[in-house]
Amino acid sequence: MPRKKEPTLSNCIRDLRTSKSGMTQQELADRVGVTRQTIVALEGGAYTPSLTLALRIARTFKKTTEEVFRLDE
Amino acid sequence: MNAMEKVAWTELVVSAVAVAVATLLSPWLGSAATSAFALLALIMLGAVFVRRRGDRTVIDERDRQIEKRATSIGVGTAWMTLFTALALATVWSSYSNAHAVSTEFLNWLIWVQFAICYGMKGLASVVMYRRQQHAA
Repeated sequence: MPRKKEPTLSNCIRDLRTSKSGMTQQELADRVGVTRQTIVALEGGAYTPSLTLALRIARTFKKTTEEVFRLDE
Repeated sequence: MNAMEKVAWTELVVSAVAVAVATLLSPWLGSAATSAFALLALIMLGAVFVRRRGDRTVIDERDRQIEKRATSIGVGTAWMTLFTALALATVWSSYSNAHAVSTEFLNWLIWVQFAICYGMKGLASVVMYRRQQHAA
């Protein structure tokens, strides 16, 4: 039986960070309380954040989580 | 490279060096060569990388997630190696009619377990960090 493909979580953090607020990765990392490398991994779609971190990021950009993160099924 | 990745490299390199030095010294020192595993104490130097610098976050949820996974891989590998080595030793002692396992073998086995545990933990962490960097 073929395995069902795991859904992935994509996001628009890079767009929001650069085009809207002109924030650096380090500034965003400091605001949400993670390392810059985690922001790099998040923007590249290589890391799925916890709900707490997703909410913190959305709050930083004054958006809802659905506006920042999208589930690709 | 973040702080926890440096810690992972420290664990990997120190474990590999400890095994290499103990193996190289064993022809001359025999069982006493296991004293080279004292080098494993250098793993504690990794604490230097995770000391707090100002308000900046040093360890976050991603680091904790990677460390958790890497620890279970390291501990799991060490246990499996221990079980396999003990099973083989038991089979061998029965086969050779010795009905005993040398304490020298057990001494090596215990120290090698520590090196395998930390070495595999370090390796798994490094691989996970590299994978996330390449994917990004």
